[in-house]
Parts: sequence; C-alpha cells; structure tokens
Amino acid sequence: MIDKIIIDGLAFSLPLFAMAIGGIFSEKSGITMLALEGIQGFGAFCGAVAFAYLQPVIRGGTQVIVYPVLFAAMLGGMIFALLHAYMSIRFRINQVISGVVVNILAMSLTIFLTGLINEGLTGEPSNKIWLGAAPRFSVPGISRIPVIGAIFRDLYIFAPFIVVFAVVSAILIYKTRFGLRLRACGENPESVEAAGCSVKRIRYLALVICGLLTGLGGMNFAFAFSANFSPTIYMGYGYLAIAALICGNWDIRRTLLTCLIFGFARSGGYQLILKLGMSSDVSDLLLMIPYVLTLLLLLFFSRHNHPPSALGSDYEYDRR
Amino acid sequence: MKKTESGKTLTARLRSSRLLIPLASIVLTFAVLTIVFVAIGRNPFAAIYSFFQGSGLGMKPSYSKSSSMLTDFLSYLGILSPMLLGSLGVVVGLRGGLFNIGVSGQMLTAGFLATILVGYSKLPPPLSIPLVLLIGLLAGAALGAMIGWLKYRFNVHEVVSSIMFNYIVSFLTGYFIKTKYVDPIIRSSRQVAANARLHIIFKTASGLKLVIPVSIFIAVAMAFLIRFYLERMSGGFEIRMVGFNREGAAYAGVPIRNVMIRTMLISGALAGLAGVTYYLGYYSTMVPKDLPSLGYDAIAVALLGNLGPVSCILSSALITIFQKGAVYMSSATGVVREIASLVTGILLLFSSLGVSMRERSRHYD
Repeated sequence: MIDKIIIDGLAFSLPLFAMAIGGIFSEKSGITMLALEGIQGFGAFCGAVAFAYLQPVIRGGTQVIVYPVLFAAMLGGMIFALLHAYMSIRFRINQVISGVVVNILAMSLTIFLTGLINEGLTGEPSNKIWLGAAPRFSVPGISRIPVIGAIFRDLYIFAPFIVVFAVVSAILIYKTRFGLRLRACGENPESVEAAGCSVKRIRYLALVICGLLTGLGGMNFAFAFSANFSPTIYMGYGYLAIAALICGNWDIRRTLLTCLIFGFARSGGYQLILKLGMSSDVSDLLLMIPYVLTLLLLLFFSRHNHPPSALGSDYEYDRR
Repeated sequence: MKKTESGKTLTARLRSSRLLIPLASIVLTFAVLTIVFVAIGRNPFAAIYSFFQGSGLGMKPSYSKSSSMLTDFLSYLGILSPMLLGSLGVVVGLRGGLFNIGVSGQMLTAGFLATILVGYSKLPPPLSIPLVLLIGLLAGAALGAMIGWLKYRFNVHEVVSSIMFNYIVSFLTGYFIKTKYVDPIIRSSRQVAANARLHIIFKTASGLKLVIPVSIFIAVAMAFLIRFYLERMSGGFEIRMVGFNREGAAYAGVPIRNVMIRTMLISGALAGLAGVTYYLGYYSTMVPKDLPSLGYDAIAVALLGNLGPVSCILSSALITIFQKGAVYMSSATGVVREIASLVTGILLLFSSLGVSMRERSRHYD
C-alpha cells in the first residue's frame, strides 16, 4: 500500500512541480502568473492534436509518438505563455487580469477546436481526444528495493524530463548570470536596466521557459489522469501549482516539498478510501483534500513569505 | 505625445470617450466571429443572426405551440439577471482593488443553501421568495467576507483563495447533492418547489406560457443602487480610495481592514444573489460538481462595461445574447456551442487591451 501511495503521489507531484517551476521563472522575473491553468491546458491540447494526427502515420505505438507529442505540448505552452507576455509586457495590462483572459481564452479555444477537429477526424463532434495510457518504466535494480524502490517504479516517461528540467532550472536561476538578472528583474528592474540589459527581453525569455515547462506538465496530466484530452483538464492544476510556489516561497527546493505534500495527501487519501471500502461518492470529498490543504498551508506561510518586490509591476524604462 | 494645434490627439480622444473602447471591442469581436464562421464554411450573417433569434431578439422561422419570440425573450431576461448580478460583484471587487474570481463558488454556495433550506419546503411565495433572496445574500456575503478577511489577516492572495474555495464548494455541494438530494433519473438535485422559484407565470388565452423573471427587476435596481453607493456615498468612496491606492488611503485614515472585508462582502453578496437567481430562477435543479461558467463570463461583462455598474447592464445584455443564443445557433448551423465562450474570451481580450491603452494614454500629456 505504501508503494502505491508513493507511485501515485509522485505521478501527481511531478507534473505539478514542473508547472510550479514554470511559475517560479515567470514570477521571479516580475510577471504575475495566474495563466498557468490556461497554458497547461493549451499545451495538453496541442500535444493531443499532435497525437491524433501522428498516430496513424508513425509506427511504434505510444512509446515513440510520445516524444513529438511532448514537443508539441511544450510548443503550445510557449505560444500561450507568449500571449500572456505580450499582453502584460507590451500592452501592460494588469497582469492578474491578463492571466484570467489567457485562461478563459485557452479554455474556450481548446474546447471549440476539439469539437472541430473531432468532426474532421471522426465525423462527429466529441469533446474528447483519446490518448491512451502513457508509457511507464521502472529503473532496473534500484526499483526492487522495498519501500524506497517505489520511487523508481512505474514512472511515467515524463518523469526523467521533469527531473532534468528541475535541476537545470535550479542551476539556471541560482548559479548563472542569466539567473541573477532574472531575479533582479523581479526585485529591482531599474538595476538591470542600469547594468545595460533589457528587462523586457529577460521577461519574455522567462515566460518562454515558463510555457515550455507548463506545457510539459499539462501533457503529463492529460496522459496520466484521464488518458484523453477533454475539458476535465481544467481541474485547477494550474492554480494548485501557483499555490505550491507561493507556499514554497518562490524557492525551487521548498516548492518541490509542497508539491510532494499535495501528491502524497491525495494518493494517501485514495488508498485510505480503498482500504476502508467506502463508496465512490466519498472519493469526491477526498478530491477536495489538496485544495483544503493548499488553503491551510497558505494561511501559515503567506505572512512570512517574500514575494519578488517588483512582482506585478509593469516596467517601462523611460518612466520617471 | 504632443498635442496638436488642431485638436485633441488620438490618445486624448481615447481617454475622453467612454464609448469608444467598448464599441471598438464589439466591432472587432464581430469581425473575428465573421472570419471564424467563414473559415468553417458557414454563412456568417445567418449564423450571427441566429444568436439573436435564440435570445428572442429576432424571429425564428418556426415556433412550437407554447413558445413565441416573447417567451424566448423572457427566458433571455431570466439568464441575463444572474449575469448582471455576477458582473456587479466583480465590479465592486475590482473597484476596491480586489479581484473576485470566486463568483462561481459563491453562486454555488448560495444556490445550494437556498435550494435545501427553502426550495424543498412548502412555504407560500410571499414568504419563500424574500427568504430565498435573503439566504442568497447572506451565503454569498459570508464567503466573500471570508476571502477578504483571509487577504487582510493572513495575506492570502484573494485570487488563489477564492479559486480554492470554488473547488472546495463544488466538491462539497456535489457530495451532498449526490448522496442526499439526488433525483435518480436526471442525476442532479431534485427540482425545487414551484413556489420557491423567482418568477411569475402567466398563461395567455392563446396558450402561451409566459415566465416573467422577478430577478431582472432586482438586478437592474441593484445596478443603479451600486452606482449610487460607489459614486455618491462615503462607504463607496472609501472602497474606491483603497482600490486606487492602498497606502494613500491608509495614510488618509481609511480603515483598510474594514474596507477590504466590506468590499468582498458586498461583492460576495451580489454573487450570492446571482446564484439564487440562477439556480432557483432560470434553472430549478443543480448539477453536482458543476461550477457555473457564468461566474467567469461575469468578469468579461465587468471589464467590457468599463467597471461601471450601469454600463454593465448593456455589456451583460450583449454577452448574454451569445451565451443564450448559442443553443439555437448550434442547432441551426451545427457549430459547437462552445463558440459562445470563445466570443466571450475574444471580447474580454479586446476590452482589456482597450482599457490598458486608455490607461497608458494617461501617462502622456
């Protein structure tokens, strides 16, 4: 049972973590990121469309298709992240409102296009694009170790990508010149401009990275939790990721911790329900757990947090 | 930008005109809509007109025995009122610098409580209708005030907390509806009693059944009331002060805590009213675990209405045409109904771009 909790918990935590890192990139650069929900949905949609069109063409099954699909998802995420960037950097729309605009637009656009594409492919408008089960793998050797080995068992194919991206992101943000400038954009954009760098360019770059990671997370959610792309992708994962990064004080390591807490709370609850043999109606109540937990964690951590000081400010280099 | 001798510059004109931005957004949206319809091979004019036909603003080719253009229009008014009330909630929040994205959750809470407390009782209409409205007000206000308090006391961002509340409320009410109040045939909550619903039914001699929504009068009255409150009363002035500059307002002696909680309380109360007019007016049952998308459309209405309570009457009338007319449009042209949400999204995009352009024009001259 503990194995199952670990496996399912990780399957939920890792995509959430990928999205939260995306959010960290954006918010560290000073752009409020409430658009994660829409970006992950659009990314997942692009991936699903790529899957629907590639499946008859490419042989080798899901094992092979999953890589171009992943690429499409990241690209889709990037497109919508750039929309948010364009609105909040070029047009200087209130970033909270811009985020909501992106979310609403992504949701309605993907549902509308899904209907259209299904009509073209199968002749009847359905709101689902079927994906099938995502390939999983176990690391040979260490996955045999009892309890701890479960961490390496039945991993989704996305997991190694997320781990690599997370390590690279941590190095990028904390150890490189780009990272220093990125963080400065969120704390004191004037200093970046004084040092001769373009705040806008760094913010655009940050949002591109954000879209890439968020698209990856969204694709993972679509594959792992519903085996199709449908409007249920808008379950609030994006907002959970935002809550995770706020609880994690905009720090990658602490954000990982909160993501793991969410994942294990969720899978632990499920296993508890199964163990006690309760009805499926009760499982709805358990789906509530991550959200309640988020709210409670926010209560405790929000006061002592230090969000980037220039978060949400539009920066215009010629403004006095 | 410099002012020219001959008159105002473009930016100055943008700023001075209150109609230009909404009108431009509407025109651009219709242009996009036309392109979309042409791209998928439909006659754009017939398709756009069918939105109006579905809302009772244009004659359909044929009607069933118990319906007419008038009944369609009354039904349109029935869904217009929660839209207007919800957008007023968003307006009050945004004027106070708080973004109430939890309108859906507040609607759901209010609708659920009113349904189980009054909807299944046998109270006569003169008693049940005020009671339903009161429960709606109180439930929404309580949830809204909670969000405002969390923001002040624990610095929890109102957007995140209200979205968490949305999901919590949707799962919680869904659980109770499924286990206690379910109608096994339609798989949603049992229908509320006819005397608890917020409408008056007339049957004409020709066999038409006219359902007159009480809520539309309440909604329009609320729009004027909120305008009076925000523009003419000291309480509303405080809300606008805090929304404009929180530090400045604190320096001027405005009690920030009270004002923030009050802003969200009023905003939530309006959303609660929207909830009861939605679930016990337009509809009579509740689908479990279904957050009304109307709560998000209300944001678009509020922005399109330039955050003016009375202009929201016009903007909600427009967006409701798309939302309500989409069903008939879908059956007449075979295009998926979700195009209505797409239109709302595009409208929202254009109007927020317009608002930003107007605000930018303030930095010059």
